[in-house]
Amino acid sequence: MASRLLFSSLRQVQKLQKACIHGRSRIGNREVVGFGFNGQYSYQDRIDFPMPAIRFKESTPDIVALREKEKGDWRKLTLEEKKALYRASFCMTFTEMNAPTGEWKSIIGIACVLISIGIWVFILERLFVYKELPTSFSEESKKAQLKRMIDLRVNPIEGISSKFDYEKGEWK
Amino acid sequence: MTTWSCMNLQDSASPIMEQLIFFHDHTMMIITMILAMVLYFMASTIINELVDRYMLEGQTMELMWTIVPAVILLFITTPSLRLLYLMDEIHNPIMTIKTIGHQWYWSYEYSDFVNVEFDSYMTPYEGDNKSMFRLLETDNHVTLPMHSFIRIIVTAADVLHSWTIPSLGIKADATPGRLNQSSFMINRPGLLYGQCSEICGANHSFMPIVIESVSTENFIEWIKKLSE
Repeated sequence: MASRLLFSSLRQVQKLQKACIHGRSRIGNREVVGFGFNGQYSYQDRIDFPMPAIRFKESTPDIVALREKEKGDWRKLTLEEKKALYRASFCMTFTEMNAPTGEWKSIIGIACVLISIGIWVFILERLFVYKELPTSFSEESKKAQLKRMIDLRVNPIEGISSKFDYEKGEWK
Repeated sequence: MTTWSCMNLQDSASPIMEQLIFFHDHTMMIITMILAMVLYFMASTIINELVDRYMLEGQTMELMWTIVPAVILLFITTPSLRLLYLMDEIHNPIMTIKTIGHQWYWSYEYSDFVNVEFDSYMTPYEGDNKSMFRLLETDNHVTLPMHSFIRIIVTAADVLHSWTIPSLGIKADATPGRLNQSSFMINRPGLLYGQCSEICGANHSFMPIVIESVSTENFIEWIKKLSE
């Protein structure tokens, strides 16, 4: 039974080149107009494949009548009729598809909120959690240690002692 | 020793460390170029609005992105292997010192000409001596002569420790029951600092190493004094 389904659908592909994978019953009265981007009975607004497999709206007698009129001279169609024909087959226009969504604003906003929560965590930790720095971090201590580092010629090639002019006794 | 806000390697005190720094700079340049290239690819892929719905493979592209990284890796491995073997060369060291890691101090033995042994504990930090380097100073320094090849044999008495001096490019694990050998030559006089680099208990952060590099005459004076 499964092989019969498979062969019948394969035959359909060979004959009609229209959409043919399961789901036919879900689309109601909509007309199938082509293969679509993957052969399924689905509608999707895609800028890279703007030819969906089915029309967007179900066929009503008004639209069927308009389609008959469409077979004639297009100059006889009013603007409203042209728009109705488009909206019957498609959901969005290209302009609507490509329109900016403004999603970037919420993304940046939420990112800023999360970053500020992180900064608050850091501030509260500094205020309430961490102990005092040892006395070797005081300005006086650091100055004494720096003088000792210069006297010891610590990192004399590209580091701190290389920036000190020993002949003049001052920074370069 | 490391100064404040130091993000890079310490200046070298030995020729091997110089070579290590050069290799590090060379590799860093290569990876920075790769990073810039990848960032450019990522940015242009994000901005790109072109779509190819039927793209399955790109044989030439795949060949290039296999061969080009292999060539880049060759540029990295060549100096790396050269340096690896350079570090292991035998240089006929003029002396051998032994260092034994304990919980929580280092002990040193100079047994080549005289028998000298001493322990090296960290000096606790006092607020009065403002020029003291907290957590780095020891009571006894490992005094060594400059411009001489020295062999060091590292072991431990109790748990794992690791003896390291970053400015010499040395790190050797101190394993109980095992002797690890390393060798180095110091280029310039001064004090070279290091800290224990293998977790060894409560005071692991408080067992530093200080090498005092002096002229050969001063070294002979020092060792004569100690052996008396």
